[in-house]
Amino acid sequence: MADIVDIAVGAGSFTTLVTAVTAANLVDALKSPGPFTVFAPTDAAFAKLPPGTITTLVQNIPQLTRILLFHVVSGKFTQADLAKLGVVTSLEGSPIKIDCTDGFEVKNATVLAADIEADNGIIHVIDNVILMG
Amino acid sequence: MLITKVNLPPSNHPFAEIIHRLEAGGAMLPDTPENLMQIIGLYKAYAVPMDFYWRDLLYIAEREFLNPLPFFKYFLPQEYLDLPNHYAGDTADLRIWRGEATAHPELLAFLAKGETVSMPKIFHHLWHDRINMEFAEECMRAMLWHRGMGGQFDPYLDSDEYKANADRAIRAYFQGNPLMQSLYQAFPDMFLEQCRQASYYSNLGLFWEVMAPVFFEMSDLYDEGKLTSVPEAMNFLVNGIFAIAGRPIYHHLYVRGECYEIIPKSKGFTWLYEAALPYVEAVFYRTSPFRGTKSYNAQAKQVPEAQKDFHFGILYADVFPVGTAGIPPTLLMQDMLHFLPPYLVNYYAQHCRGQDDTLIQLGVSFQRSMYCVTSAVIQALRTALLYPLDDPNPRHLQANREFFESQLNRFLRPEARIRAIQSQDYR
Amino acid sequence: MLSILIWLPILGALVLCLLPKKLGAAYLRRVALAFGSLTAVWTVWLLTQFSLSTVGMQFTEFVPWIKIIDLNYSLGVDGLSLPLLALNALLTLIALYSTAYSGERPRLYYALILLVSGGMAGAFTAQNLLLFFLFYEVELIPLYLLLVNWGGSKRDYAAMKFIIYTAVSGILLLAAFLGIALLGPVPSFAFDPAVTRGLPPLTQVILLGLLLLGFGIKIPLVPLHTWLPEAYVEASPPVAILLGGVLAKLGAYGLLRFGLELFPATWHLVSPILAGIGAVSAVYGALVAIAQKDIKRMVAYSSVGHMGYFLLAAAAATPVSLLGAVLQMVSHGLILAILFHLIGVVETKVGTRNLDALNGLMNPIRGLPFTSAFLVLGGMASAGIPGLVGFIAEYLVLQGSFAVFPIPTLLCVVCSGLTAVYFVVLLNRTCFGKLDNETAYYPVMQWSERVPALILATLVLFLGIQPGWLTRWSESTTNAIIATVPTTDTTLSLSKLNRLISTR
Repeated sequence: MADIVDIAVGAGSFTTLVTAVTAANLVDALKSPGPFTVFAPTDAAFAKLPPGTITTLVQNIPQLTRILLFHVVSGKFTQADLAKLGVVTSLEGSPIKIDCTDGFEVKNATVLAADIEADNGIIHVIDNVILMG
Repeated sequence: MLITKVNLPPSNHPFAEIIHRLEAGGAMLPDTPENLMQIIGLYKAYAVPMDFYWRDLLYIAEREFLNPLPFFKYFLPQEYLDLPNHYAGDTADLRIWRGEATAHPELLAFLAKGETVSMPKIFHHLWHDRINMEFAEECMRAMLWHRGMGGQFDPYLDSDEYKANADRAIRAYFQGNPLMQSLYQAFPDMFLEQCRQASYYSNLGLFWEVMAPVFFEMSDLYDEGKLTSVPEAMNFLVNGIFAIAGRPIYHHLYVRGECYEIIPKSKGFTWLYEAALPYVEAVFYRTSPFRGTKSYNAQAKQVPEAQKDFHFGILYADVFPVGTAGIPPTLLMQDMLHFLPPYLVNYYAQHCRGQDDTLIQLGVSFQRSMYCVTSAVIQALRTALLYPLDDPNPRHLQANREFFESQLNRFLRPEARIRAIQSQDYR
Repeated sequence: MLSILIWLPILGALVLCLLPKKLGAAYLRRVALAFGSLTAVWTVWLLTQFSLSTVGMQFTEFVPWIKIIDLNYSLGVDGLSLPLLALNALLTLIALYSTAYSGERPRLYYALILLVSGGMAGAFTAQNLLLFFLFYEVELIPLYLLLVNWGGSKRDYAAMKFIIYTAVSGILLLAAFLGIALLGPVPSFAFDPAVTRGLPPLTQVILLGLLLLGFGIKIPLVPLHTWLPEAYVEASPPVAILLGGVLAKLGAYGLLRFGLELFPATWHLVSPILAGIGAVSAVYGALVAIAQKDIKRMVAYSSVGHMGYFLLAAAAATPVSLLGAVLQMVSHGLILAILFHLIGVVETKVGTRNLDALNGLMNPIRGLPFTSAFLVLGGMASAGIPGLVGFIAEYLVLQGSFAVFPIPTLLCVVCSGLTAVYFVVLLNRTCFGKLDNETAYYPVMQWSERVPALILATLVLFLGIQPGWLTRWSESTTNAIIATVPTTDTTLSLSKLNRLISTR
């Protein structure tokens, strides 16, 4: 099986995410044994952000890293695990609310594809970039 | 394509009308040409002194720092007047304003002559014919004093890492000054607290560095006829908030050409979380009962017990000054008075007492404009944390509504001016 | 010469009535002001011609009129009436000036004010009892009309109460005057102290009692004061200025002229009672004023209190106290006028006189800073702050009365403190504090509204610093009056009075 980064690169619909992860020098970290749970926004999700947002973030790597780390949780959690937990803490430090009452929702994002298994963790594809707060 | 528009039942909130307006993509301020003119004119009048505020705040944070006798902290050196704004000019990281990156020409003209005539800076200062930094410092102090309003900046000020950075910076700053060094040995916490204050100087300076070009650009767009309604103005702000959200917040100190990173950029502190949201909370909502505007009796519970319940910000403020100068909000009005666009000068001349009470009239317009900014913040938070306004899922729309209602609940207390600004009679 | 003071305003009133109909209010006001100013100029000229050293009447005029009832046109002025004539001319001018009437019946309004002024001048100068009574009654009618036509919502009631009270006052005076004229050796209405001093003591007591009641209503003294709050409060500000500033002084003047001067010995006997009434008036006025919510009513009650000082001083009848009494009349007239004028401004601008609604008028941008500043000055003057005319008057009153009536004087000293209490309440609520955002869209004060306040404030301040300019007119007259009051017997008591009456 491939690791998280490989899957993302291979899928083709995560080019923004992969670029951002590369820019933030998080590739090596996400290739490490982990395990991690990653909420991966699609390219369409990034496109929803107002113009300039990405530009500013790419200019400021520590700030970009922080946003990206908010999408990563330490440990391997399937949809079923997350449904039980309700709230998980991201690597950024802020909590992420999970709602499985009606579909599978991570904060204000809806999961498009859940439980994509990787060597070092699990990926849930989401339709929004989630933000702290 | 068939779009099924989902509708919620009407809200039962006391401000139901405003909630429905927010849900339709509007602002708390009604969309009228008169309101638009007032808020845009005020943004412009605010942005010019703000161009001075942010430069001087950074100057104080980076150069004056812990100067025990900061007599000349408002005397901005040319270097800081020329400091390129990161969001204007050709050198911008992200060009928001199409104007230049150095200090605004109207500001430079005012610094040279003031209300009076061209004379040495010291006389302008003593005559109080200058940009009043006291307001900016009051805002900074409100952020410092309230603390703990979200974000990682404030907790960081109590961390060992910060203390070590500050220690290094303070030692370097007072190098060759045995008196201050020994005082630092004796009262390290006092110096540390002053350093925290300097960090908030930097925080607010970096925050306003962004807002000044945003407001300038809005004013230019309005003058060009490209900004035609209050919601458009608000959406410009929402987009601005998102565009700059990731801007780093830091505190650097420059001593003898060397840079000391008291709060390094690598901490990942962002403009939105570590500056903008605490600023709105501290300055728009809370601040503190300004001495002089009214006598408050804490024993009679006129001042809330919990800091989070403070409500003396511009959204609640009574803009009538009592007495004379010296009160920060009044000083801000005085600053803005110098830079009003001609259409607002005419407008104020036609209402109430004309020139005699322009200060109050512009204070009320300022209040309107800050309700628009607050609306932008609320809509931005809704965009970031909740759902689009046209979301087909009624559960999501309900979540949006609950969010709007919880935000407007803060304006239920009688002091809030939200009711007043719904009408044009409030001047 | 004195006739001009009487007939010029009356002529003015006639001219106003005869002017063509189409003339606007502003034109009528100018005509009225012209006559008012001429009268004032004439008064100033009289002041320059007045001999300070002469005791007794000056500028006397005598024209026999109706001989059969001994009604003669006999005028004269001395140090007692001169300051009041000046006050009358000044306040008339101010009343005329401060009414920028655009609406209701300006012609009648200005004519009536001029009539009142003329009548008042006549009363102050009349040297014949019947003539005095005539003028005293004559100015009632225009005042009644001024009250009933212009003013607050309850003005009908106030005007009716005023006319009934003052009519009773007039009847009492007429009775007293008839008594004086008929009981004397030769029936005569001429003002002649020598005649009345010879009357039997009991007769003197009765006649003085009638005068006290009559003038007591006019001044007014507790408990005859109940017409005052209504009349002052319901009257429009210029009329209130005339009522409080001049009309009340007519009562005070009458008491001195016809009570003290005609019956000095009896006055001396009843003076403990008068001092007591004075102290009660002062205490009552001050305490009731503290309780008021309406600032005009508050000032109206302060007037009751201040006339209490006057009565105390008149009762004590020492050279210093009597001078104080004259000064108190003038200073109270000036202070009351400035206060009523400013309260009128506040009412037109803010729309209320209620202490609970008023706030923060000192606000320099949206408030009424000029009005507030002068209101503070007026309040300070009324409370007797040194450097202002109220202090000089009160000081002389208290200083002069203490040796004779220590207890009532001390009570009045306490009242002076109470005056400060209600003025602090008034000023604190009205001028200070936070101006209300919701309501503070007041019109700006016009220059025409500032001028009266400026003139009055200048006088209040100038006469406070240079009281000599005020005392010089009256000193010789008051000293002469005091000389007629018996001073040998300082142990005055009611028992002595009783004894005296019972021996009859």
